[in-house]
Amino acid sequence: MDFRDRVILVTGASRGIGAAVARAFAAEGGRVAVNYLRNAEAAEAVAAECRALGGDGWPVRADVGDAEAVAAMFEGVEREFGAIHAVVNNAFLAYAFDPAARTPFWDLDWADYERQMEGSLRGCFNVCRAAIPAFAERAEGSIVNIATDLVERPSIPYHEYTTAKAAVVAFSRNLAVELGPRGIRVNCVAPGLVYPTEGSRNTSEAAMERIVADTPLRRIAAPEDVAGPVLFLASDWSRFMTGQTLYVDGGLVMR
Amino acid sequence: MLGGGRRIPGGGEGVAAVAELAGHLPGLPAESVARETLRFSAWGRCAEVAAPVLSGDQLTALAAHVRRSRERFLAGLRTQEIVDILDRAVRTLLDRSDPRRRRAEELLPAVTGYDPETVRLGLTACLKTFRGAQLSAFVAEDFANPQMLDGFQPLRKGGYGRAFGPALIAHVWAGNVPGLPLWSLVSGLLVKSANIGKLPSAEPLMAGWFAGAVADIEPRLADCIGIVWWKGGDEVRQQALLDQAGLVLAYGGNATLERIRARVPVATRFLPFGHKLGFGMIAAAALDADKAAGVARRAALDIVRYDQHGCYSPHVFYVERGGAASPRVFASYLGGELAALSHRFPRRALDAEEAAGLAAARQEAEIRSAVSDSVEIAGDAEGAWRVVFADDDPGLAPAGANRTVKVAALDRLDDALPEIARHAPWLQTVGVAAAPEELFRLSALLGEAGASRVCALGEMTAPEAGWHHDGRFNLLDLVRIVEIERGAEAAAEDFAAYCD
Amino acid sequence: MPGRDVSGTALSDQVLDFIGRDSSTESAFDAMALALFAHQFENNESFRRFCLKKGRSPRVVTSWREIPPVPISAFKTLTLSCVAPESAERVFMTSGTTGGARGRCYHPTLAVYDRSTIANFRERFMRGRDRIRMGILFPTEEEMPNSSLAHYLALAAGHFGAPDSEYLLNQKGLENDLLFRALDEAAATGEPYALLGATYSFVHAFDEMERAGKRYRLPPGSRVLDTGGFKGRSRDVATGEFYGRMETLLGVAPSECINMYGMTELSTQFYDDGNDRADAPKSGPHWIRTRIVNPLSGADVPDGEQGILVHCDLANYNSAVAIMTEDVGIACGGGFVLLGRAGDEEAQGCSVAVAEFLEAARG
Repeated sequence: MDFRDRVILVTGASRGIGAAVARAFAAEGGRVAVNYLRNAEAAEAVAAECRALGGDGWPVRADVGDAEAVAAMFEGVEREFGAIHAVVNNAFLAYAFDPAARTPFWDLDWADYERQMEGSLRGCFNVCRAAIPAFAERAEGSIVNIATDLVERPSIPYHEYTTAKAAVVAFSRNLAVELGPRGIRVNCVAPGLVYPTEGSRNTSEAAMERIVADTPLRRIAAPEDVAGPVLFLASDWSRFMTGQTLYVDGGLVMR
Repeated sequence: MLGGGRRIPGGGEGVAAVAELAGHLPGLPAESVARETLRFSAWGRCAEVAAPVLSGDQLTALAAHVRRSRERFLAGLRTQEIVDILDRAVRTLLDRSDPRRRRAEELLPAVTGYDPETVRLGLTACLKTFRGAQLSAFVAEDFANPQMLDGFQPLRKGGYGRAFGPALIAHVWAGNVPGLPLWSLVSGLLVKSANIGKLPSAEPLMAGWFAGAVADIEPRLADCIGIVWWKGGDEVRQQALLDQAGLVLAYGGNATLERIRARVPVATRFLPFGHKLGFGMIAAAALDADKAAGVARRAALDIVRYDQHGCYSPHVFYVERGGAASPRVFASYLGGELAALSHRFPRRALDAEEAAGLAAARQEAEIRSAVSDSVEIAGDAEGAWRVVFADDDPGLAPAGANRTVKVAALDRLDDALPEIARHAPWLQTVGVAAAPEELFRLSALLGEAGASRVCALGEMTAPEAGWHHDGRFNLLDLVRIVEIERGAEAAAEDFAAYCD
Repeated sequence: MPGRDVSGTALSDQVLDFIGRDSSTESAFDAMALALFAHQFENNESFRRFCLKKGRSPRVVTSWREIPPVPISAFKTLTLSCVAPESAERVFMTSGTTGGARGRCYHPTLAVYDRSTIANFRERFMRGRDRIRMGILFPTEEEMPNSSLAHYLALAAGHFGAPDSEYLLNQKGLENDLLFRALDEAAATGEPYALLGATYSFVHAFDEMERAGKRYRLPPGSRVLDTGGFKGRSRDVATGEFYGRMETLLGVAPSECINMYGMTELSTQFYDDGNDRADAPKSGPHWIRTRIVNPLSGADVPDGEQGILVHCDLANYNSAVAIMTEDVGIACGGGFVLLGRAGDEEAQGCSVAVAEFLEAARG
């Protein structure tokens, strides 16, 4: 896929899936705005890798939960790169995927749900709002939101996390209908458990083995596995697709 | 992509074996007619058209032939009989398996540059307006009593009247929109005139095919039609035609019309049809969250059809604030629809000079958008379409056509009227999306300002059968009424053989 | 980011140095162009906004070919200057024949324009000669202080004109007596003579000469420089016929007639090497490069196809290093052939075209 002259904003790109996606865009010639919240050093490292890979990388700090900060980030990206062609909403609130340590429903508060909705959906909302004017200039643009395959098959009930991600999927479909006539596409990529990442650091071997046993392709996803479908949905190769969710979990979910 | 879509300069003498013969020249031996080859290319197709180049004597002979044929045949037909013949001819051209229709679908994209789908759909839409029922509507629109074309009919004031078309009407056609010449040619036939039309170099085929289709149905009617060509600016040949005609219909820009007007003999009536500037008006009521995208789609279709080269094509859309979808969002919908439509109906390819002209025309807005937040430009990377959004700028002007349109946001649509009225001579079609009361209120104001046609969005490029082109009468403007006064009838009574 | 921190003054020195070189490589040209682009992007708000609308910033532009060219019409509405306009040593203005407004080009100092013009003129018109007696068919710089052509001709006359060079035209028009006397004298001396001026002035002069029944045989080595073409002024004369009259009325062979192609928005000129052939190609010095683009997409046209000329002129260090013209051309040899101009095209249908509409609006 050719992303030369294309500018892509990846949120939460200083590590994990976001960093892998940023590097993959850069390897195809893309200019990547590497959004981060806290770890400037890590973001700069990812940006440097992007540059070394033949694309471009530029770290940009913003709390995606803060609409003003997001607006400032878009202004910065446009000033630096002159344009913006695609956004990948990957940032989410830290969450530990540890089946043994998960909180059962009866111990959860409504506030736990609210926190996840804030973390997953609000950032997505802010970034999408800010992206529309830039995309409308060409009646063209792609938004890729990262969800989880748990929305389809909650093998382990991470209630508040999965509920918020399910909201992201529904949010994306509605947005796809609303923005389709304006030439803007909105799709989701729903990975299975991805290892290694911050969230899956403490996932037990036994839990992972259970997932592998049920997965036709017989392994756990690596961050780089998620990048391909994200790039596809951000590119013209998928120009007639919108409102879709691609499951990237080795066939665990089929639909 | 540059190049193509237009006539290739340097078309030489001589006729290639495959060249399509343009024109319709009853009474002239085919071998006696000199031909010039016009070459066109677009959409990967080439077309060669062998256009007839008549000598002055041949033009005179042709004029004599069509006049004579008219006296012998057409003058004695009843209007309904003409309608029936034309109806049958039009139906053959509507049939997509008809050889002429197939040639039209094959050649016109290369000749005009319009994409094959636009040509196919445009041909059908245009020809449909000339079927029998629609032709009857043409006649009824202008004549409360259509029999006035066939014989003397009682007049309200007393006495009798009958409408006569001139013996010969000269048509000077222009432009590359296929089928445009048919409007005036059909009108000329309905008033029982012989007709000679000069083909536009940009689309030198359709009128000849139409005459050919008529010839297959009724050669004696086709004998009353001459379709000729000369290179634009050939004053000598033009004069030869103008001198023969009882009435001259001409299409083109002001400069062209001015030149022709100066050459028309003073006693000959001259009906000029100049270039026009269409626009649209969209009231807040049409922009609720449910309807806005649909309205934008219809507006986009009006832009895409013939790439805004029709006299009825829109160049500006005035959009009222206060609807659920703001004018800015409407502009964005319009961009989305233009982008989507360009997949099925790609814009005609432009040659370097046309592209340069279009780019220069677009640049003004582009530059304004760099300094002002009230101007925004949307468009694709290749320049296939452009939407210029402007706050409170009622300016009405062409912006280069070829899918370049301005969306002007206004508090009230009325705010545009003073500017619109300033351009009265250019006005004709206005596409309006508004509630009924508003439609009538606006139409009155638009009519006052100089517009002559208010239509629905999505229908700007397809005027109804019998429409009043530029607010004029299609048939009535061509005829003179011959009256038998009441007194003459009374006096005649005295001379009747059966007079008591 | 090369050049971001370089001040305008230091940059103009770099450009002067660049002009002084014998030639340039693609990479040296790129480096200078990118430094100028970054400078203009940083120091001119209008230019920056224009570039961002085009999706270009110094970060993403890596070659002179990617610098967004400013359409010449923008000089009418935007202030394209990295210094305060009132501090400019000179402002050149376009003639404003179309559309009313006049484009403005600000020169903080004329040093760069002058160096560019003089070096190029010596190379392309003087061809090894130091001085030549000149007749100028254009008003003086004092009469037209905002005309870049007046300044150009003043530079030519000042640096390369023999002492008895003179202006044969003032603001009111051609001075017939002066012209005929100058040509008589020139023919009599046997010394080479050069007549320079606007194309339409030549047409006017030819008309006057024919009316007066004058014909001249200028001495061998005489030459002519015309510029500007025929648009909108005097009457249209096909190029071949024009240079034919040069030969019959002045005795200067078309091969000795040089046409200069320049514009107010540039600080460097293009020349052909004589007009003994139709469509003589134009070329410029090593500090200007030309692209031929599809004006709608801005992309280079495939080799051998027509497009719009875009010039990247390093001597435009203060305004816009790359400009988009309205001239249609085609690549030829190391240069280009001019073919036409935007706005010359006819209306395709029966919708009013921009040119006709404007024409009518002017009344």
